[in-house]
Amino acid sequence: MIQHLLLNIEETAAVILFGVGFTILLLHRNLIKKIMGMNIMDTATYLFLASKGYITGRAVPIVVDGVQEVEAYINPVPSGLVLTGIVVSVSTTALMLSLTIRLYERYHSLDLDEILIMAKEEEQT
Amino acid sequence: MEGNMMLLFPVVCPIAAGIGVLAGKVFRKNRKYLVGLSAAVLVLELVLTVGALLSGGSSLTMLRVTEQITLELGADEVGRLFAALTAAVWLLVGIYSVAYMSHEEEEHRFFGYYLIVVGVLMGLNFSANLITLYVFYELMTLTSLPLVLHERSREAVRAGLKYLFYSVAGAFLALFGIFFLAGVSTSLTFTPGGVLSDGALAGKEGLLLVSAFCMVVGFGTKAGMFPLHGWLPTAHPVAPASASAVLSGLITKAGVLAIIRVVYYIIGPDRLRGTWVQDAWICLTLLTVFMGSMLAYKEPVMKKRLAYSTVSQVSYVLFGLSLLNQTAFVGALSHVVFHSVIKHALFLTAGAIIVTTGWTRVDQMRGLGKVMPKTLVCYTIAALALVGIPPASGFVSKWYLALGALSSGAGVWSWVGPAVLLVSALLTAGYLLPLTIRGFFPGHDFKGEEIQKRNLAGKEPSLWMLAPIGILAGAALLFGCFPEGLISMLRSIAAVVL
Amino acid sequence: MSFVQNFPFFSIIIAMFSGIVSSVLDGKKARNLSLGMIAVTTALSAGTLIFCLGTGESYTFMMGHFPAPWGNEIRAGILEGVTAVFFGVVMFLAVIGGLKHTAEDVEEKKLNLFYIMIDLMLSSLLALVYTNDLFTAYVFVEINTIAGCGLIMIRQKGRSMSAAIRYMIMSQLGSGLFLIGLSLLYDVTGHLLMSPAKESVNMLVAAGSYRIPMLVIMAVIGVGLAIKSGLYPFHYWIPDTYGYATPTASAVLSGLVSKGYIFLLIKIFYRVLGYENLVSSQMANVLYVFGITGMVMGSVHAIYETDTRRMTAYSSVAQIGYIFMGIGLGTSHGMVAAIFHIFTHSATKALLFISAVGLYEVSGDKKDYISLRGAGYRNPLAGIGFTVGALSMVGFPMLSGFISKLLFATSALESPHKMLPTLIVLAVSTTLNAVYFLRLVITLYSRRRPGDAPVPETAPRGSWQLKLAILCFIGVNLVLGLASQPIVRAITDGLAVFG
Repeated sequence: MIQHLLLNIEETAAVILFGVGFTILLLHRNLIKKIMGMNIMDTATYLFLASKGYITGRAVPIVVDGVQEVEAYINPVPSGLVLTGIVVSVSTTALMLSLTIRLYERYHSLDLDEILIMAKEEEQT
Repeated sequence: MEGNMMLLFPVVCPIAAGIGVLAGKVFRKNRKYLVGLSAAVLVLELVLTVGALLSGGSSLTMLRVTEQITLELGADEVGRLFAALTAAVWLLVGIYSVAYMSHEEEEHRFFGYYLIVVGVLMGLNFSANLITLYVFYELMTLTSLPLVLHERSREAVRAGLKYLFYSVAGAFLALFGIFFLAGVSTSLTFTPGGVLSDGALAGKEGLLLVSAFCMVVGFGTKAGMFPLHGWLPTAHPVAPASASAVLSGLITKAGVLAIIRVVYYIIGPDRLRGTWVQDAWICLTLLTVFMGSMLAYKEPVMKKRLAYSTVSQVSYVLFGLSLLNQTAFVGALSHVVFHSVIKHALFLTAGAIIVTTGWTRVDQMRGLGKVMPKTLVCYTIAALALVGIPPASGFVSKWYLALGALSSGAGVWSWVGPAVLLVSALLTAGYLLPLTIRGFFPGHDFKGEEIQKRNLAGKEPSLWMLAPIGILAGAALLFGCFPEGLISMLRSIAAVVL
Repeated sequence: MSFVQNFPFFSIIIAMFSGIVSSVLDGKKARNLSLGMIAVTTALSAGTLIFCLGTGESYTFMMGHFPAPWGNEIRAGILEGVTAVFFGVVMFLAVIGGLKHTAEDVEEKKLNLFYIMIDLMLSSLLALVYTNDLFTAYVFVEINTIAGCGLIMIRQKGRSMSAAIRYMIMSQLGSGLFLIGLSLLYDVTGHLLMSPAKESVNMLVAAGSYRIPMLVIMAVIGVGLAIKSGLYPFHYWIPDTYGYATPTASAVLSGLVSKGYIFLLIKIFYRVLGYENLVSSQMANVLYVFGITGMVMGSVHAIYETDTRRMTAYSSVAQIGYIFMGIGLGTSHGMVAAIFHIFTHSATKALLFISAVGLYEVSGDKKDYISLRGAGYRNPLAGIGFTVGALSMVGFPMLSGFISKLLFATSALESPHKMLPTLIVLAVSTTLNAVYFLRLVITLYSRRRPGDAPVPETAPRGSWQLKLAILCFIGVNLVLGLASQPIVRAITDGLAVFG
């Protein structure tokens, strides 16, 4: 068992990180920490993908001195996916942060539960 | 749209007229137009219904909902009986309403929905398959709801909600059964003796019984059968008297019709005879018969008393149906007709009393014979008919019910049933006749101050109200004296389905 | 290759470009552009649908110059066509119906942003419907989430912003799970295009290898998309989100967004993981249990709500439960019923949200039961619209809801173990639906009491756009209820060529 995990060290790390990020996103009340959790979760997936595409001893699929044979490069698809994924996660993070700033300006709190309570009170008055 | 178009007119005409009445401003302002149109449509409805009944037995496909499911109208014997009864009684109550409703607000709403409901009810009577029946059944619940809500008081809204929830719960209990039956039947078109296919049913007999029971209880809601009877005594009395009359006399019969259709035309009586469903059903009906009479006996408010009486009397019908034999079936269907006629007469009398004197409780009505002797005579005839005193009509139906029960071979029920019917008949006399006795013979100590003070003596309701009551009471008597025609027709129906 | 085959790609790209162009337009122009775009894309989808109906089969459309198994593909067939047309129609009507309120709820200089979100939303929905590539699906899922979040938060009230952040958090959980599921799937199969991925999956299943990873993939993707579509018990974000957004956004979010995810889920089940594998691995049963729990619990929550918009939102939870129950039945008839219910629910729920607007307008913009008393008289058309929608949700014959219930019930009869629970839960849930919807309908038509809050005397009777939208939605409902057969047949045919 342990041997398996150590053999696939990147995957193991990725799954652990995913779990950590998921838990933080789900359970933490602080909005900034939630966003951090979300980023950890995304990063874990990228680590997983990148490690899947990596083949020991090969170069990144960037053409430098003309195209070499296929065996010279690692699998480029996961790298492409990671790049796309990073773009997506940057934009969602930006959106979440801007929302957090708005909420902080309005309620002077980063605690989601408190914010919800205050918003409810505001509605009633 | 293909087939016998004559069947469509009695359904569509009143609905269109009703929508017109609700939408047209002229009917809100001018009572003459409103009353004129409503009366004309009701007469037309009778003519159209007769036309549809005479037009032969072919059916009309209105719409194909899916490949298996069509909306289809047809007129078989049972449908004809209910349709003729509905059209005739609806017209009489309509005439009565013209006079009665002049005391109420927002007449156009009443007449609008009153017309729509008769169209829907016709659709229900003419339904040729279970889905069509269900569609019209739901429509009937919705369109009759505004009649209950008419006063729009807090009490009426509460009663309306109760009516709606019970009806919807009942209808969906039945829907559960319909879904199941759709899977195990060859088609859902009503066929005497049932349409279930043995192949599809193999291994699901237990479930069939459960769903049959669900459907009996579900459709029994409308007929006021225990345990879903609670809405009836609340909802009927809050409506205007003419609405309570049709709710009690005809809408409850829609539940009866639905049960007849399911048990005798879809499942088939042979599959239920001798099962726990039959036992449970008989038990529920007898319980309802007794309980309804008992509650009516103890109820001081006249309209509520009549509503409880409906609970009890409609279960006579259901009792007859639950026995699953020919004689009881004849008794049940004849009681449908007789109870409908009688209960209309009684409710209309109650309405007439309210309009003339404002009395609602039975103990206020001492000396009523001095106020409206003619009305009270009509009431007495109807009451005697409901108790079942020969030669009035109630006797005939109860006779057949008792005969059917004794020959049913349903074990202990074959003698418990007639006994309960007898006790209930005594109770019926106990809750209906005091009004007559105290009305005509108020006793020595009765001075009639209120009658003198308000100058009520001899103040009969107007002819428009009196005439329908008289006709209905007369019919209740005449049906009992000359039942042969009706009974032989019912016998022929019973011979087909059983 | 016929020219029509380009239409799916065109419709996605047109929607996306109108969003980009709208960023430099003012609010009104952006609005007109958006409406025009929705009309055009719907017409294009209709063209695709007609083409696919004509040929009777589906086709794939290569994006760029890399053929499968690399590259990126779009796939169009009857089912995709029907769904795309339907989404377009509902979107158009929802935007039309909420026009006036959108203008009121959104700051004027930000109005164009709202329509950008609408454009992007439609573009991502169409992409989810048409895509044949898993990673494209993920990207558009995220675009959809961002656009949805934008639609919620554009109404700058505290409650809607906190709703937006909650929505965002739950969506991120969902898409995180979806993404890890995709990565695992790629790891196992080596493909991102659906068709080659399915071949690999079938080979793996036949060989019996990677059993546990396959199960994990199914679970993770299923749960991820279930969170995003608001299946009970992952529904906590729904009432706030639907309850406090501007009406168009509520209608679009409840009617379309959750349905887009469900459609994607069905697509992945059929075209990648294999529906029969799903059934044999018991995942279908898990979804079934979640579904029937949602059907009951959503309605129970709705009964306790006094705010009618939150009540309608909770009813969505119950209806999503219906759809997942259909998916979980594990038969193709169940799936047809589920897809038909997707249509039913989006048409009906959008109708409810839009016609409720007309009722709030004449009740001093209050949304609780008591304030709505008698609103059916003050705005008759909105009252009728709401009544029709409520009756359809309850499953009244002749309306669309009845047909879905019928389809669910008849398909349940085929699976011996699930028949009884399905029928019972259908009956219970229908009765519960009736309790809260019909109670509200009666409230709409009951007389106001002396203590009730005053209503504005000269309340607006709704703009003509609102009336038009309500009428059209009623029409859509009736069409689904009365002429359901062609649609059901199209769904059945579409599913047959789906796998």
